[in-house]
Order: sequence, then structure tokens, then C-alpha cells
Amino acid sequence: MVEGLSFELLMAIVVSMSGLVAFGLIMVFTLRSIKASVTVGVVGSVLSWLAGLYLFIHYWPAREAVIFQVNWIVSANIQVPFGFYFDSLSLLMLMIVVTISTLIQIYSIGYMAGDPGKSRYYAFLCLFAWSMINLVIAPALIQLYVFWELVGVSSYLLIGFYFEKYSASEAGKKAFVMTRAGDIGFFIGLVLLFLAAGHLAMDVFSSGEKIAAILPTLKPLFPMKPETLLTISAILIFSGAVGKSAQFPLLTWLPDAMEGPTPVSALLHSATMVAAGVYLVSRIFPFYEASHTAMLVMLCIGTITMLLSSTMAMVARDIKQVWAYSTISQLGFMLMGLGAGAYFAGVFHLTTHAFFKALLFLCAGVFIHHFDTNDFFDMSKGGARKMLIPMIAVTIGVCALSGLPPFSGFFSKEAVMGALAAKPNKIWLIAGLLGAAMTAYYSFRVIFVMWFPKGGAAGHVHAHGHVGHADAKEAQEDHGAHKGGAVWITEWCMLAVLIVLSAITLVLGFFHGDIEAFVAGAKETATAVHGAAAEGEHGIGHTTVLVLALSCALAGVILAWFEYGARRATQAGFLSRLKPVERLFANRWYMDHFYRKLLDYVVYGGFTNTFTRNDRVVIDGGIDGFSNLTIGLGRVFSRVQSGLLQRNLYVTFFLLALMGLYFFLV
Amino acid sequence: MNSLYVYLFVALFLFCVGLWGVLHRRSLIAMLISVELMLNAASINFLAFNRFLSPDPAVGQIAVLFIMGTAAAEAAIGLSIILALFRRYQSVEIGKARELKG
Repeated sequence: MVEGLSFELLMAIVVSMSGLVAFGLIMVFTLRSIKASVTVGVVGSVLSWLAGLYLFIHYWPAREAVIFQVNWIVSANIQVPFGFYFDSLSLLMLMIVVTISTLIQIYSIGYMAGDPGKSRYYAFLCLFAWSMINLVIAPALIQLYVFWELVGVSSYLLIGFYFEKYSASEAGKKAFVMTRAGDIGFFIGLVLLFLAAGHLAMDVFSSGEKIAAILPTLKPLFPMKPETLLTISAILIFSGAVGKSAQFPLLTWLPDAMEGPTPVSALLHSATMVAAGVYLVSRIFPFYEASHTAMLVMLCIGTITMLLSSTMAMVARDIKQVWAYSTISQLGFMLMGLGAGAYFAGVFHLTTHAFFKALLFLCAGVFIHHFDTNDFFDMSKGGARKMLIPMIAVTIGVCALSGLPPFSGFFSKEAVMGALAAKPNKIWLIAGLLGAAMTAYYSFRVIFVMWFPKGGAAGHVHAHGHVGHADAKEAQEDHGAHKGGAVWITEWCMLAVLIVLSAITLVLGFFHGDIEAFVAGAKETATAVHGAAAEGEHGIGHTTVLVLALSCALAGVILAWFEYGARRATQAGFLSRLKPVERLFANRWYMDHFYRKLLDYVVYGGFTNTFTRNDRVVIDGGIDGFSNLTIGLGRVFSRVQSGLLQRNLYVTFFLLALMGLYFFLV
Repeated sequence: MNSLYVYLFVALFLFCVGLWGVLHRRSLIAMLISVELMLNAASINFLAFNRFLSPDPAVGQIAVLFIMGTAAAEAAIGLSIILALFRRYQSVEIGKARELKG
């Protein structure tokens, strides 16, 4: 497929390799010099952004997938390709990834100022972006899997970036192990599919007709019909997405992943890592469409996750935790959209979510940087409302998150709602609306608390915040001592990124039609048409859904206003009157406790104990037994060596005589 | 009875006496003498068979000469071993040399 080195291919190589090159350069050469590392990292990501932009514009409107690939592993009739795959979905996602990772690298210049590990941080950021870019443009599921794991590794490195802090290294480990639990299923699913189909080429699995064509040719692995095999492997592959995208039941690693630096959380929550799961599902969406069971599983998991994590977000006091839960919930919402069969709605929500969630996290980063606390009640008391640009940015982000017009989230949420309304069973729509109301409630809770601080012991907190602020300033001044005005540069790096992201969040929704034409036009899958038809059949029209979704969101906003915003509001929330429920939500529905117990009983109590016993009894015992047998036999046979020469002679002659007799008689 | 059997019986008797001596005498010197007896029995057999059955008279005698040579060498080595043992145990009793007992 590679025919010469065309300019497009060169650009593809730049976009896919610049991250790795930057990582290598930083790790090998510039680890000592922070300034050089930052330059290398930013230049690398800007290069890949430019190359990505070129590809995006060049291939627009991407009716056909463009594939560059070489054979990586060739063995008998198995060929594993390695290369680049550009179609509308991967180009869109590529654009998101390079844009957000570039913005975050620029933001980090300010956020990480004065951190001694900044070089390492930039190296990991480059590695992270590189893995995600290559995951996105993988031409075969095997390559996708390889980079999937690399994304996991680099997220581990970044979540545990402050490794000297126990909770951070634990959080990194938890993220790694929990996503791995899903990846096992993913890998088994891939192997099953590979054995049955003989290849995992992306262009086959992302096209409905091609899947229908290969369905009869699937090798019967076990006594299992091809459809069953398809369903099983689809669900197994989906379990990988459950782990990566923090869906129920593997969702508790994501709130803990807040231990990393805030820009990392932004990257993790918007474009890379958690988006990978949803991306995988939409990447091979026609493959899922071929199995109704898998779609139903997806819909259920998405719904459960969305509702669970929304409830958790309603009681969190840590601003990053609130955003983390909202990420989980929005990912669940995307999967609901995909599970309902609306390919474009899911992808569009992924796109808009990537930008507004990056915005929200980066705003949170500015506040955390400034007030040195994660609690937004404390931030509010410290005077967060005086920081106008971040406050406006966070408000824009929250409006988008709650799905209020005219922000981007409104358009994508509305698309998903439309898909849910098209399902004959109305429970999905009701769950979606409930989720929208809760989302609006918890996100506006944050906003109202921060805009309208209420009395209380502000003095102490303020002093604390002030001290933290002074420390940060000092650190910055240390860093920029030889470079006057460095503080301003670092501040503006952060604010400029916020402004850019706010602008994207504001306008992205209006490109709804263009993106739809770009993503869905190339596919021309039956879903869009089918969805529209179904909508007519099942009663609820477009306008009704729109009004319903909006009124639910507004209900959430109004509830939040009365509890947190209004003049006489107590800022306590209706949940504080339901203590057990609040405790349940605050403890994440006791999922972590459950996992702790599960680990203690099953892994430590069950497996570890069994294996220890096996080690002690079977392995040690076996070797001990064998050596004891040897020693015992030695003792027995040493009796033969009596030391009495004549007895030996007796035996010798007796045996000789027997032999003589034998030869004589035979 | 054929005169060959007379020789063979004599040789058998000598061999058995020698065997008994090797297996039962306590003294190493006596055991060495018994071994000599067994060798002699073999020599007698060679001569007898040579005399009565073989057309060529020389073969058996050559074998006997070899046996005598071997016996002389064996006696020399055996006596030197016995001497070494005697130096160590102040005795030539075979029961004393039991150091290789398991």
C-alpha cells in the first residue's frame, strides 16, 4: 500500500512520530535543562498539530479511508500490518488529540512552573500524546491494542507523577490495574476474533457491508455460530472500553487519578485515555451494530454508569472530583448514544466533551494553582470570583456540560437524546433526562458556590490560600529570577489556553451540521436514516425531545440556584437532609469498599493463600520429599557396603555361580 | 573312569579348598595362599585338557606358564598390600580393615 514517499505520508509520519522523538530527545539529552525540555515538547506537539491540521484539511471530506501500511509481522498466512488509517472518524479524533495535547503542553508551561520534575513531565506528556495519536490512526486492531496499552502505561506514569506522595503512586497503580482488568477481556476478544477472521483490519471492522460479507467465512472456533462468536468477542472487546473509559463496574480508578497534575487530568479526561474506550467502540461501530446483544449491553452499562457517577458528583467537595465524576457520567452518556445506534451522536458528544472538559479541568487547575486547595467551597471563600477570566471560562464549560444552548454540549447532548428517544423503550430516554438534570444540578452547584461565596470562617481559609499563593509566587519567581516578568508569561500561558478552549466550546456546536456531514456522510450507514424513521414511528418528535432535555437541565440549574446561589441559600444541598444517601454517594456507592473486600477475600484470602500453600506444600514439599527419598535410599543401600571383604566375596562368587549355572543350563 | 576325570576331580577339590580358604580364613596371608591354590587348580585343568583333548601339546603349557607369571605378580602385589595394612592396623586380620563401611 505504500507507494513512494508522498507529502501526505510524510505528514502522517510527522504526526505519528514527533511525540516519540520528543520523548526520546527529552529523556536522553535534555532531562537536566527544563527550558530545553519544554521547548522540545512544545515544538514536537506543535509540529504534530500542524501535520494533523494539514491531513485534516487535505482529506476533507474523507469519503474514502486512506491507508498507508506496511507488513509488520508476517507468518504463514497471518499478516499484521502497521501504519496509518485516515478516515473521517480517525481524522476528527486525531484533530482533537493533537489540538488538546498541544494546548495542554502550552498551559503546563505556566502550571508546572518551578516544578523540578518538569522535564520528566514533558517527556511523559509527549509519550502520552504519541500513544494516543497512534491509537487513533491504527489501521488494524492489533496496532490499536499495542498503543492502547502504551496509553495505559503513560497514564500510569503521569497519574503517579508525584510518586513521592503515597496516594499518588497508589492512584497510578490503581488506574493501571483496573484498566488492565478490562484489557484482559479486550485481548481475549481480539484473539477470538483474530482466530475466527484471520485478520483484524480496521477497514473491514468499520464497515457494515464488509462485516456482513465476512460473517459466513468466519471459522467455527468452538461449536458456536458466527453470530454468537461475534457477540461474545464484541462484548469482550467492549470490556476493554469499560476499563479505559471508566464505566461501571470499573469506574473507581478515575476519581483517584486526580492525584496527577491537573493538566494531566485534563488530558486524561478529554482527549486521551478515557476517550480511547469510546473511540474504540465508535471505531468498530458497525461491528457492534451486527450484534444486538452487544449494543444492549453497551446501552445498559452506559446508563448505569451515567446515573451512578452523577449521584457521586452531587456530594463531592473537591472540584477535580466533581469534574472526574462528570467525565465518567458523560462517557456513559456517549456509550448510551452509541448503544442506541446513533453513531454520529456519540462521536459528536465525544468531540464537544473533549473540549469543554479540557476547559473545565484547566480552569480548575488555575484555581488550584492560585488557592492551593482542591475544595471549591474554600476557593469561593478565598475570592475565586475575582479571577474573572477563569470564572467566565469555567461558567462556559459548565453551561456546555449541562447542555444549555448555545454552548457545544447542548447540540451533542440533544443528538444523543434524540437517539434515546428513538428507542421503543422509553426507560432509556427517562434515564438520559434524569442524568441531564443531575448533571446540571451538580455542575451549577460548583458554579453558584464559586460565584456567590457565603460567610463562614473565611479568614482562616483565606490566610491559608494566601500563603499557598505566596508560595506559588515565590516558586515562580525562583524559576524566573533571571528572566524578568516570567510570572506574567506563565500566567498568560494558562489564561490564553483557557480563552482558546472557551472559544472552541462556544462555536463548536454551530459546526454540528458540518461535522455530521463529515463523520456520517462518509459512512452513509443505515443508522442515521433508520434513526430518523424510528423517531417518527415511536411518537416522540424532535421538538419534544429538545424541550424535555432543556427543561430537565433547567430544572437542575434552578434547584442548584435555590440551594447554592440564592441570597438565603444554605449551600447545603437537599442531600444533606438524607444522611444515609449522602454517605452512600460520597463513598461512591461503596464500590471501593466492595473492591477492597473482594481483593482481601478473593485475591489475598483466596488466590494468594492458595498459591502460598501450593508453594509451601506442593513445590517445597515435593522437592523436600524427593531429597528425603534420595537420602533414605542412600541409607538403605549403604548397608550393602558392610566393609567385610569376605561377605562381598561371598556375594560375588554366589552370583558367578548362578551365572555359570545359567550358561550351563541354557 | 577315564583318567581325565581324575585330574578334573583333583582340580575341583583344589579349587574348592581354595575358595573355602578365601571365604573363611581370617588371615590375609591364608587368603593369599588360598588364591594360589585356586590358580593351581586352574593350571591343572589346563594341563589335563591339553593332555587328553588337544592335538597340540604346547597350548595348555603356555597358558600355565602365563598363570604362573600372573600368580607371581599377584603374590608380590598382594603381599605388599598386606604389608601396608599391617603397618596401619598392626594385624593381618581381614576383619580389621572395615573403614569403607557404609
